[in-house]
Amino acid sequence: MADSDGREPLRRLAVHWTLSAHARRLLVLAVAGVALAVLTRRAEFAGLAAPALLLLATWQADRQPEVTVRVQLRDASLVEGVSAAIDVEIHGHELLDVRLLIEPTDTVLAGEAVDVPAGHPARTAVLRVVPTRWGRYSLGVLMITFADRYRLTEGTAVAQLPFVSPYPQAASLQSSVVLSRLPSRLGEHPARAAGDGIEFAGVREFVPGDRQRRINWPATTRRGSLHLSTFSAERTQNVVVIADETADVGEPGASSLDLVLRGASGAITRYLAARDRVGLIIFAGRLSWITPGQGQRHWYRMLDLMMSTPGGWDRAPGLSRLPRAALPPGSLVLVFSPLLDHRLVEALRDLRERGFSVIVVDVLNTEPAHDGSRLSQLTARLWHLEQQAVRFSLTQIGVPVAHWDGVSSLDTPLAPYTRRVLVAHR
Amino acid sequence: MTLPASTAPAGWTRRGYGIAAASALATGVILWSAFPLSTGRAGTRPALAVAIVAGLMSIAQLAAAAIGNRDSDSFAVLDQAAQWLTGLVKIMPWAELLIVAVLVLEVLHASRPWHTALLGVALTGYLLAVHLTETRAGGSVLRAQLPLLCAGIALTALSVGAAALPHFMASPADAAIRIVVLVAAVVAVGLAVPVWLSRPGRPRGR
Repeated sequence: MADSDGREPLRRLAVHWTLSAHARRLLVLAVAGVALAVLTRRAEFAGLAAPALLLLATWQADRQPEVTVRVQLRDASLVEGVSAAIDVEIHGHELLDVRLLIEPTDTVLAGEAVDVPAGHPARTAVLRVVPTRWGRYSLGVLMITFADRYRLTEGTAVAQLPFVSPYPQAASLQSSVVLSRLPSRLGEHPARAAGDGIEFAGVREFVPGDRQRRINWPATTRRGSLHLSTFSAERTQNVVVIADETADVGEPGASSLDLVLRGASGAITRYLAARDRVGLIIFAGRLSWITPGQGQRHWYRMLDLMMSTPGGWDRAPGLSRLPRAALPPGSLVLVFSPLLDHRLVEALRDLRERGFSVIVVDVLNTEPAHDGSRLSQLTARLWHLEQQAVRFSLTQIGVPVAHWDGVSSLDTPLAPYTRRVLVAHR
Repeated sequence: MTLPASTAPAGWTRRGYGIAAASALATGVILWSAFPLSTGRAGTRPALAVAIVAGLMSIAQLAAAAIGNRDSDSFAVLDQAAQWLTGLVKIMPWAELLIVAVLVLEVLHASRPWHTALLGVALTGYLLAVHLTETRAGGSVLRAQLPLLCAGIALTALSVGAAALPHFMASPADAAIRIVVLVAAVVAVGLAVPVWLSRPGRPRGR
């Protein structure tokens, strides 16, 4: 639990003191030398042991059994594949050098060990980790090793690093799909209707009541009567992202669920940056949604919903019972799905019939394994045909399906729909 | 996805130098203590074999520690055997075994005080090289130990002198007395040096 100023509390950790490996080797040399000197009555072996004995003579037994440590993640939220900083604060044992090393879990990459020299009562260091997967897991443990000036004593303390929930890495998306019909909300997309925007739309004759500052003087001079410039209205659009979490197939780290979350995260980030109202529907074990909204807090709400919704397919209902606020009429619907669940396909057909403009980003990049036998080949062929049929049927009813490999930018599959305004059919 | 900026190239260079120095010193102490083989008593050759194996393994241990852990999920026999061998290399105290084997090799030869003293200095150097390589530390960490090392080398020289003294008395207790005196001197210096190092007003330089 964090304290009043948002920092993690100081923790007392037990320090386990042992002889260092260096000290053990020196001890072997010293004991063996003296023992051989006594046994063989050869004085030179006692001399051989002298440097090791002298180095060992500096060993100190009284060490504090505890250390106070604060381990704090610098960023409140992490993103997979993005380096994160961990601030470590150590109080006590100021005469000892400290080595900090993160022993990460399987899904985390950790940097090199950091050495903190002795000399200050409160010492700080920054360690870096890279979470390689989204989800919820522990970062690992922090090994704190104290060493004295002569490297004879080693004290080891272990601090548990916090559990984190890195967000999926947002897919790169620079362009956006804009519908031809936009709701009457002030935004940044030039609409077909005339308004007070800054994009030039045309010239028309002046009528009383028009603003004089919009008079187009070149056109007025040419035509001999007052004309003025008209501009496009600037509107926002409602975008609803549907993330299909019913299936998770493919290589871990690049599975269909990974791609769904990365693609949805990229689309959400892009459209929120364009001041659009973005909503999210999770199609999974249970249907979860967030009504369209704007702003950074809304972004966090949607990503948290994506992370917290359990996957699966058992109880996923259709989209017909969603409230109107979750799926406003005239919205652009972006669907990220491997299209393996027939209920989602039916729901998309239903959406199209209700007049929504739907674009499906197909994230299926794998296929069932087969052993090469004739029956297996036949099964694989049938599966391919079925998948093609699903995609073809969607295309036939006006739902474009764009395949995304998860590696390239999302701009590539969406390019045919981002270069011009997407006509919204009713 | 990249790891944070690290000092990997510099660290690898330092580790490489450390392993090279430890290898050279291990080879040196083995050769120095074993040869000439002809003058060694019975058991010289097995002790030499043990020393060579221990030396090789201690260097392999340093290299394995530098490479780090690479867990494999493979159940292939070769992979399992490689993992078991790597574990064996890492877990055994090869450097300690090398020390004992080298001292035994030296004992199996006739008394040669200056030779043993040089062996002691080289063994101490080997241990320091292993320590620096293991901890990836620079040579500057030895600065604090320099007075102790100098005192130790002085005592080693003293022991060479004591061993080289002619036998004035032929009594059986003569050698034992000399040993006891030398050990007492080492212990006395060992007790005095820490007191001297921690005296009030002494700068705590690193």
